[in-house]
Amino acid sequence: MLASWPFLNSRGFEQQGVDTLKVRDAKDVEDAVQAAIASEQPLEIIGNGSKRLIGQPMATNALLDLSSLNAVTSYEPNELIITVQAGAPVADVQSLIDSRNQQFAFEPIDTAPLLGTANQATIGGMIGAGLAGPRRIKAGGARDHLLGAHGVSGFGDSFKAGGRVVKNVTGYDLCKLLAGSWGTLAVITEVTLKVMPRPESERTLVLRGLDAARANRTMTAALGSPFDVSGAAHVPGSVFHVAATELGDLGSPGEAVTLLRLEGILASVVHRAAALGKLLAPFGVAQVLEDAASAAVWSSVRDVVPFAAIGALGAWPVWRIVCPPASGGALGERLARDSGGEVIYDWGGGLIWAALPPRPDAQVALVRQRVNAVGGHATLVRGSDELRRNVDVFHPQPAGLAALSERVRQSFDPKNILNRGRMSRNSAT
Amino acid sequence: MAIMMPAPDQSVLARRDQIVAALRAIVAGEGVIDTSAEMVPYESDGLMSYRQPPMVVVLPDTTEQVSQVLKYCFEQGIKVVPRGSGTSLSGGALPLADAVLLGLGKFKRIREIDFDNRVVVTEPGVTNLAISEAVAHAGYYYAPDPSSQIACSIGGNVAENSGGVHCLKYGMTTNNVLGCEIVLITGEIIRVGGKSAEASGYDLMGIITGSEGLLGVITEVTVRILQKPETARAVMVGFAQVEAAGECVARIIGAGIIPGGMEMMDKPAIHAAEAFVHAGYPLDVEALLIIELDGPGVEVDELIRRVEAIAKGCGSTTVQISASEAERNLFWAGRKAAFPAVGRISPDYLCMDGTIPRGKLPEALARIRDLSAKYDLRVANVFHAGDGNLHPLILFDANKTDEMQRAEAFGADILRVCVELGGVLTGEHGVGIEKRDLMPEMFSDIDLNQQQRLKCAFDAQGLLNPGKVFPTLHRCAELGRMHVHAGKLAFPELPRF
Repeated sequence: MLASWPFLNSRGFEQQGVDTLKVRDAKDVEDAVQAAIASEQPLEIIGNGSKRLIGQPMATNALLDLSSLNAVTSYEPNELIITVQAGAPVADVQSLIDSRNQQFAFEPIDTAPLLGTANQATIGGMIGAGLAGPRRIKAGGARDHLLGAHGVSGFGDSFKAGGRVVKNVTGYDLCKLLAGSWGTLAVITEVTLKVMPRPESERTLVLRGLDAARANRTMTAALGSPFDVSGAAHVPGSVFHVAATELGDLGSPGEAVTLLRLEGILASVVHRAAALGKLLAPFGVAQVLEDAASAAVWSSVRDVVPFAAIGALGAWPVWRIVCPPASGGALGERLARDSGGEVIYDWGGGLIWAALPPRPDAQVALVRQRVNAVGGHATLVRGSDELRRNVDVFHPQPAGLAALSERVRQSFDPKNILNRGRMSRNSAT
Repeated sequence: MAIMMPAPDQSVLARRDQIVAALRAIVAGEGVIDTSAEMVPYESDGLMSYRQPPMVVVLPDTTEQVSQVLKYCFEQGIKVVPRGSGTSLSGGALPLADAVLLGLGKFKRIREIDFDNRVVVTEPGVTNLAISEAVAHAGYYYAPDPSSQIACSIGGNVAENSGGVHCLKYGMTTNNVLGCEIVLITGEIIRVGGKSAEASGYDLMGIITGSEGLLGVITEVTVRILQKPETARAVMVGFAQVEAAGECVARIIGAGIIPGGMEMMDKPAIHAAEAFVHAGYPLDVEALLIIELDGPGVEVDELIRRVEAIAKGCGSTTVQISASEAERNLFWAGRKAAFPAVGRISPDYLCMDGTIPRGKLPEALARIRDLSAKYDLRVANVFHAGDGNLHPLILFDANKTDEMQRAEAFGADILRVCVELGGVLTGEHGVGIEKRDLMPEMFSDIDLNQQQRLKCAFDAQGLLNPGKVFPTLHRCAELGRMHVHAGKLAFPELPRF
């Protein structure tokens, strides 16, 4: 019977002894999960495999491939919603909504440059990973834009979460759990996402030569203003020296750049750019980038292009650190100094991308100790199989929280069928 | 009462004196209330047609006390109903005869204001408005603004995932909280999230928010605060037909404009509000939109021009633009007083809370009008039109035979219409007891079982706020059982790992 299913043989996932089950519809997903439960065979859930290299290596030899579930079920621009199947490529969906001047406001990251994978990200992976870009500080994350989902739990049952309207408090908000759960709770088959109007214009203020502490204070001042800043990032000068990288239309500035983005209607961004420039005068004189030039820079920041896999730091493990924004400057600066690594700051200091020189342990103890001290958390987003086998990829939690999270996981997947062990080395068996 | 609550456990009631004594040993003095007279204020919440005296009220003032109370109740198999300010409109804090009512009213302190990280760390009994007031001197505010914000507590807001007029642009509670301290029924104290934009691991804050007191007791909340917009102005637009007003809402959103708030009132609501607050509402229109634009002055001016043009294109009959802050507040005064205004023209009213896709507003209104005729009860409609959240107010007189039953049946039919039109049972008031028995209109048994299994991960004995949200109580063991799908396996030969 297995042989009657379409197999996938052309995209490089195949390994000796690995079966790929390419599903055609949600019913196939149910069948596959039920069979996996019966045979106690864990499944790795996959779209196009663009983020397969993130997480602990998984204990499975069967892939559940959702790439054929790729239809746009409905798109209602006036309702600000789109319903789409999990396997649909993010880029295709984004160009569809772009044609109606709309966007995913949480600015999903394209991890391809960082991970060096050519495969196109899918909507299911975008939600499962929940990696939001620079606009998270203003618009929220993937979890804030997932209105509803259909999926198959580890019980082999199709269930729905949420609905198709923006305002909904009916029952538990399961969508929040599904976003960022890395496929460990359910196989998401279809989602309804909120879409938002794309801003008519944008401006970026560029301040040069600030050190991390001063840049952090600059971003804090900007985010504490009424000017509705939608991006606040800082790239230290050393990143350009070590990585010899380009930052969108800014080129390779050679000195540190602090970036503050404003979006909206033209009259508004012009007014706010002037007012913000004045407010930040004590920190330096701001150059202003307009529209396409501004967008190019933020696209590089979003996708962490300076640490790209094909660049000079391509072999370095990369950590993604989330922390209280005002502690970011000091944390990043000391971590870079003590590890010999390079860092890039986003979210006003609340997100730090840290590329550290290769070591067998990715300097996990140093990273976690520093991050714990400010109440943040760190995820190893780039590292070899061996490295990811040896360290906790996701931040270890205090015992009570970890136990509660594990009970939550079991409430969806008691047999540990779905992406077994991806988020925790302790749940690998 | 039309809604049945779980039968009281007589063995617990028989031990009442012992339970009261044990609670007094944890919370001394006036923190334990056990006389019928003193418990009267706790008999109901904002859903006032339902009343039930609790077994005993306990008002702890430290997390440690909350933990000890819950641990004691867990060990003794006693149910617990958490309560904030008691403003729930869905009966979320309705006591049970055999349950301890755990009030968080003494948790009144703001613990930390951190402007650099743009957060406030607060105890759960602090009111929604008090948070905004505490940070107003620095130009900040807390965005979600439920109508009850002067009284409702932030802990209750988290439990209910409260909304408000401005959540169209600024999100609901869930989009504005970053972390909490929660005490599980076992007494275990867990910290979730904090001052970072997102927490590690599963988004437990996301699931706790809106869980209606069924998962744990919140003893601290960290909320995001925002800078107030530079300016805000309101446009008031009247329409001769409800359909035209609905079209106007759709076109504004379609034009890429997300107003700070976009509210609609129908004729009965307009008349009731105008009679109450004299806001200058036009009385000869069928529908009134209040649209608020906020941001820098140049942006607001430009958007008002666009909104005005759209409104005229939709056949508006009146357009008024607020020229001063006083006038803007006056426009809102009628809308914000709509519930009490309706209370003046009817002895009783039921406030419903469904959400529909925005584009279905005219259809929903027509269906509500038909139902009004069917049930022979008047209805006044106020909507958060921008996000399709309806608040039909059903007018009735509880002293007249069967009017309350008719009103409840009318309300249930409205919510069924919401689901039928692609919407949901509740947009911001919560399920509570009010919409509990309607949950199967929206969710299958499988959907509800998954939600209840999640409840089991937090509260395996089902002791926290039972009888709310879910129409059927299941034992966790039964929910966790893996049914066998034998005989129809698509991959019987799937290799074993």
